[in-house]
Amino acid sequence: MSLFRAEGLVKRFGGLLATDHVSLAVEAGEIHALIGPNGAGKSTLVDLISGLLPADAGRIVLDGVELTALTPHARTRAGLARCFQISSVFRNDSVRDNLLLAVQAQAGSSFRCLSRRDAEHALQERAEALAQRTGLAEVLERNAGTLAHGLQKRLDLALALAARPRLLLLDEPMAGMGPEDSQQMVALIRGLAGETAILLIEHDMDAVFQLADRISVLVYGKVLTSGDAAHIKGHAEVQAVYLGTEVAG
Amino acid sequence: MDAIFVFEQLLNGLGYGLMLFLIAAGLTLVFGIMDTMNLAHGSLYMAGAYVAARVHEASGAFALAVLVAVGVTVAIAAVAEFLVIRRLYRRDHLVQVLATFGIILIADDAVKAIWGVAPLLASTPAALAGPVALLEGLPYPSYRLLLIGAGLTVALGLHLLVNKTRIGMLVRAGASNRQMAEHMGVRVGGVFAFVFALGAALAALAGALMAPISAVQIGMGEAILIPALVVIVIGGIGSVRGAFVAALLVGLVDTAGRAFLPPALRAVLPPAVAADLGPALAGIAMYVLMAAVLSLKPAGLFPARG
Amino acid sequence: MPERFPGLARRLPWLVLALLAAFPLLAPALGLEYYVGFVRRVLIVAIAASSLNFILGYGGMAALGHAGFIGVGAYTVVALVEAGVSSAWLAWGSAAVLAGLFAAAIGAVSLRTRGVYFIMITLAFAQMLHYLAVSLRTYGGDDGYGLYTPLALGAWLDGAHAQVFYWVVLAIAAAVFALFSRVAHSRYGHALRGVRDNETRMVALGYPVYRLKLAGFVAAGAVAGLAGGLLASHNAFVSPSIMHWTQSALLLVMVMLGGAGRRWGAPLGVALWLTLEEVLKLYTDYWHWPLGLLLLLVVFHAPQGVAALLERRAGKEGAR
Repeated sequence: MSLFRAEGLVKRFGGLLATDHVSLAVEAGEIHALIGPNGAGKSTLVDLISGLLPADAGRIVLDGVELTALTPHARTRAGLARCFQISSVFRNDSVRDNLLLAVQAQAGSSFRCLSRRDAEHALQERAEALAQRTGLAEVLERNAGTLAHGLQKRLDLALALAARPRLLLLDEPMAGMGPEDSQQMVALIRGLAGETAILLIEHDMDAVFQLADRISVLVYGKVLTSGDAAHIKGHAEVQAVYLGTEVAG
Repeated sequence: MDAIFVFEQLLNGLGYGLMLFLIAAGLTLVFGIMDTMNLAHGSLYMAGAYVAARVHEASGAFALAVLVAVGVTVAIAAVAEFLVIRRLYRRDHLVQVLATFGIILIADDAVKAIWGVAPLLASTPAALAGPVALLEGLPYPSYRLLLIGAGLTVALGLHLLVNKTRIGMLVRAGASNRQMAEHMGVRVGGVFAFVFALGAALAALAGALMAPISAVQIGMGEAILIPALVVIVIGGIGSVRGAFVAALLVGLVDTAGRAFLPPALRAVLPPAVAADLGPALAGIAMYVLMAAVLSLKPAGLFPARG
Repeated sequence: MPERFPGLARRLPWLVLALLAAFPLLAPALGLEYYVGFVRRVLIVAIAASSLNFILGYGGMAALGHAGFIGVGAYTVVALVEAGVSSAWLAWGSAAVLAGLFAAAIGAVSLRTRGVYFIMITLAFAQMLHYLAVSLRTYGGDDGYGLYTPLALGAWLDGAHAQVFYWVVLAIAAAVFALFSRVAHSRYGHALRGVRDNETRMVALGYPVYRLKLAGFVAAGAVAGLAGGLLASHNAFVSPSIMHWTQSALLLVMVMLGGAGRRWGAPLGVALWLTLEEVLKLYTDYWHWPLGLLLLLVVFHAPQGVAALLERRAGKEGAR
């Protein structure tokens, strides 16, 4: 039984069928990459899985738990976390405060209103550990809004990690990054493979081939094919989609 | 409660609705295109009413009074747009509320300084003081008929302007997607100023026409602003067509509520309860309407934003 | 000023509290007895404004119907007095509780919307409360209701004594203010600010955002209700005009003037506005337009409010 299964997901925007009966599975410990040309519906799919968009049809199951009817925040509590294509952090707060906010969500009630949160050592330690893990230790006290692009994307990822997810949805973590930043991000993601399954949306094919155990190709809202790197590289229709050559049949 | 009374109230509701439309049209365009919450829109309505009332009293010529009122108000609006409003276009809504509330305060004192605190008595033009027999045994004040006629004419004119002219097309583009319109080279600043002036003219016209049948006093702008806001929320922000439909709905519901609910309640409830409940329910009728519409169509009846 | 006395910024609030406490005793010597009542009113409005600052400044909820909860509190006191209650604590406490309940019902519905729709729906509910009050003729309807006997404050406090009531109000205001400050630094306070700054991310992080907002909305409503109860006692009179939309707008304006989301935003804004109003009224009949001009000045030169302006000046001179 797969750790995560999406079955027959459908999403329509007016007349446009953005997600066309997509079924997908992610095994425990696996990095499953999702690639496809622009407009294929990858981000829509991530929004459907994380719950930001309600699906018109289909099911989502994580570790035996039916997520389909759950609100986005309930899905996070069930073990699903995501990061955002355009990094979504708390720009006016320090990196430390960003991480504390993420860690706080997983450690007891956020309705406690009389004691000083910053005095909670356990939270501070977890935030610092998270920063160490994701290479943000040196910028802990800087404002998130002043961080360089690469560091912001890392913070975005760190925030998602705070939830200790079973499945992590990475929406173009390499977007807008130069080669050095990308390599660091690849190393970071590879380091995560043991503790969480990952669904990786990416355009950066180098990163995809370095990281992915399995790759699915999404075109016009449908899954064209799935398989390992060799299978994908050799697949004629995939080549056609990416290179634009006509394929008969 | 007989058929004549019902018909009369429905016509009143129509007239009120059309006047609400004149006010709401400008408000919805300013909000839809410039994303600006202008609380001082009611002050333009007030300015139109005051100027028209005084000019009519001084000259006896009603048409002249209306024209002067619209002209003066548009001039004031142009100055306000130049000095204040245009600096609010990209700001946070709450900042806009703050600034336009400040303008309301300034306007209220200006009116007080010019005309004093006592409400102004605006008389209906002599030619239209009497009733007209619409049907056998159905007299209706001819002034109110003028209101309905004027309202419908302006509505038609606005429809033609927005849908059949070039400037109207630019306005619609701006309402639908401002950034895209800007990127396509539309002279946005000019369109904005035009929209603001147009809204002011319509509000002033409504004020001038309503003056003889309402209380011309400081605070009349604030009083009409809430129904106008309810109209644009129901109609869909940025949509003139939405404002038209919503204004008629609100006008009818409000008028009918005030006219028919109290007697209806008196018929079924004990008099003490009905006496309290009737006016209360009539007052909140338009909010209940708004809540009902929003629960079915959260962006209003005809959302303009694409 | 702060540069020469680095500890002043920290000690200033206590200084102000001490001055306020001493004011009724000093006032006769300065010929300012009349103003004891004025300062009392400023304190009560500041309590209401603090609650609005909490949901607006810290929670990002732009509510334009907050005066409705003040009204619920005031009318609760009216209803209790009409029913024979004479204890101030019972009356004011009930005002807070009832306002909180109304806030729970109104918030449950309104918080499902956002942006301008939220503004309009909160406005609509406040208008409904206003109409309800107008129609309640047992409580005076449009003419209002007079509270002729001051409420009893208990065995050892004389409710009829103006100064005692002043000190009670000051104590309540200080307590409310300290409470809000405490909450701002708690887990809840940080979570609420997170919702204000990036709601989508908060949802993705697993926070129950709707419930967080609702809790804040209810708490703020209850505090506004308390202020309404105090106001009823202060004015010895309640009328539906207390809930007119312009009162909600005025409260919003005062919070923004002081600085929304700032610690001292609400009391600063209220004190500044009401004091200016009072001073202007001494000299002219036309006291609206200078206030209007002030708002325009703030919008264009100090959009984050006066508190931010002062913080910036203090910051420039190195005081922390």
